[in-house]
Amino acid sequence: MDAILQTRGLGKSFGHFAANADIDFAVQPGELRAVIGPNGAGKTTFFNLIAGTIGATSGSIAFQGRDVTRTSGTHRVHLGIAKAFQTANIYPSQSVRQNCRLAALAHVQGAFALQVVRRSNRLGRVDELAEQAMSRVDLGAQADVRAGDLSHGDKKRLDIAIALATEPQILLLDEPVAGMSKDEARKTEGLVKRLASEMTVLIIEHDMELIMGISDSITVLHGGRVLASGTPAEIRASAAVQEAYLGGHTAQEILE
Amino acid sequence: MTATTTSPTTTPVRATMRGSDLRFLLLTAIGLAVFPFALHLIGGYAGLATQIVIVSVATIGLNVLLGYAGMLSYGQAMFFGGGGYIAAILLIHTMPNHPNLWLAVLGATLATTVLALLVGAVSVRLYGIYFALLTLAFAQMVFFIVEQGKDLTGGDDGLQSFPVALLALGPWNLDLTTALPALALGPFGNLGDIKLWYVFAAVVLLAVLWFVRALTRSQFGEVLDAIRENEERSVFVGFNAAAYRLAAFAISGALTGLSGSLKALYDGTVAVDSLTIERSGSFVIYAVVGGVQTLFGPVVGTAIIMYLENVLSGVISFWQLIEGLIFVLAIVFLPNGIVGTILKRRRGARALVDAVRVP
Repeated sequence: MDAILQTRGLGKSFGHFAANADIDFAVQPGELRAVIGPNGAGKTTFFNLIAGTIGATSGSIAFQGRDVTRTSGTHRVHLGIAKAFQTANIYPSQSVRQNCRLAALAHVQGAFALQVVRRSNRLGRVDELAEQAMSRVDLGAQADVRAGDLSHGDKKRLDIAIALATEPQILLLDEPVAGMSKDEARKTEGLVKRLASEMTVLIIEHDMELIMGISDSITVLHGGRVLASGTPAEIRASAAVQEAYLGGHTAQEILE
Repeated sequence: MTATTTSPTTTPVRATMRGSDLRFLLLTAIGLAVFPFALHLIGGYAGLATQIVIVSVATIGLNVLLGYAGMLSYGQAMFFGGGGYIAAILLIHTMPNHPNLWLAVLGATLATTVLALLVGAVSVRLYGIYFALLTLAFAQMVFFIVEQGKDLTGGDDGLQSFPVALLALGPWNLDLTTALPALALGPFGNLGDIKLWYVFAAVVLLAVLWFVRALTRSQFGEVLDAIRENEERSVFVGFNAAAYRLAAFAISGALTGLSGSLKALYDGTVAVDSLTIERSGSFVIYAVVGGVQTLFGPVVGTAIIMYLENVLSGVISFWQLIEGLIFVLAIVFLPNGIVGTILKRRRGARALVDAVRVP
């Protein structure tokens, strides 16, 4: 099968510092792929390159066979690349429903529409998409709550719902359980699993237990380059990965 | 404005909308009809009412930008003065024999919209103080060009005695300087000197208020709110934020240009003081004192400050000091402006009632 997302020789330099270099990477449709690596490995830079938050300095990115290297972040959303942020990025003063409606509105109307008189509730599809997105992340019961009043975990799930309301082909999740309690993290883990059965998911996460448990495959970044790629079992057994993370010792040795 | 959540059942919502539209138009029309009389009672002359109504349109134009898009323009005078000059030049050079008010005003509005699109294309990617300074710089450039272009603009003298534009309405060609019959107000004396101009200006203001009210509730207004609250998120749900900011700037330029062209035609003169920094700043003061992000705040702010200026500037010679003082006091004590504060109190009271009523 053709990859849904593919990078070739992708690189990003800030001055002389190469945050990402020579990244060849491919995700198959329907896959749940994790990107891991020690702090400073370039995971966030890589994510931002894929989402279009920052531009690449070398290499290319293709999405569904189409070169999107120079495509703006806004336009990539319309092609089907949606992102949930590391720190929940929502509209705090608006209701949970309106947060999702706005994303659905962007999807239905396009990047810009000079509709200075018509109201968005005339577009039935907007409400439909918003309701679906809310129920998929289990926030339907809190539809009328002010988003800023939600708990930390719910805010991060709302951020995911906002991404879902744009009907993405691939969902980028930047540390979806960061800062969550055990219970909240478990709830989000279940959500990520459910979503992965419906679409392609690319996830960055520090929680190794979570990553090893849910991923189809893992890419390890180190020093801005791909260190290893493989199934969770392969990554667990990789000497190179152990070297990068644990300085050559096995997890067993460190614990002893 | 906070976008209200909408129920998926649109039919009843639309039905009540029509009712509220009608009520809005009716109440506003009554308010505008009463306004010159109320102003007369507190010592404002008749022409002041017309001027306030006309200038309010420019303040509303600024509020679209400052209140709804969250962009502080300090160069609105380029549209206000620009609209005035373009209307005058159109009258003098293109229709000296058949001065048509519609053509002059629409031509000026269209031209200031184009000016706003050009200036906006350069400036809307800047934020906060940088955006304000860039709009200020553009306004200064327009000021300089108009002051130097003596052949067309009259330089420092400005343009006077241009043809009196007539308002073509079906079979009629109305001269707006026609005085309405004087009205006896019992013990309060006679209200004379109200011209047809006031009626026309009031109808324009009513139309502008209706438009901006619709805009804030529209799809466009909803997205503007979203971008103001969280631009990064808005970009990553797929909104072209720069295009929205540019559109808001253009709408603001159009309304301000419309206001400036009406002011020039009403005054029968246009001068470079309509293009100054002080002029730009006055719209900011009017809007902030009245209340940004509110529909009527700009009108109330314009009315209060222009009234005080009219009453006080004859008595004391340092009016601008007083105006500055009012601005400072408003920011410190009424950060939501007069109308914003009233609305907030009412919302607070309603929230209190709701809190008590909920079982």
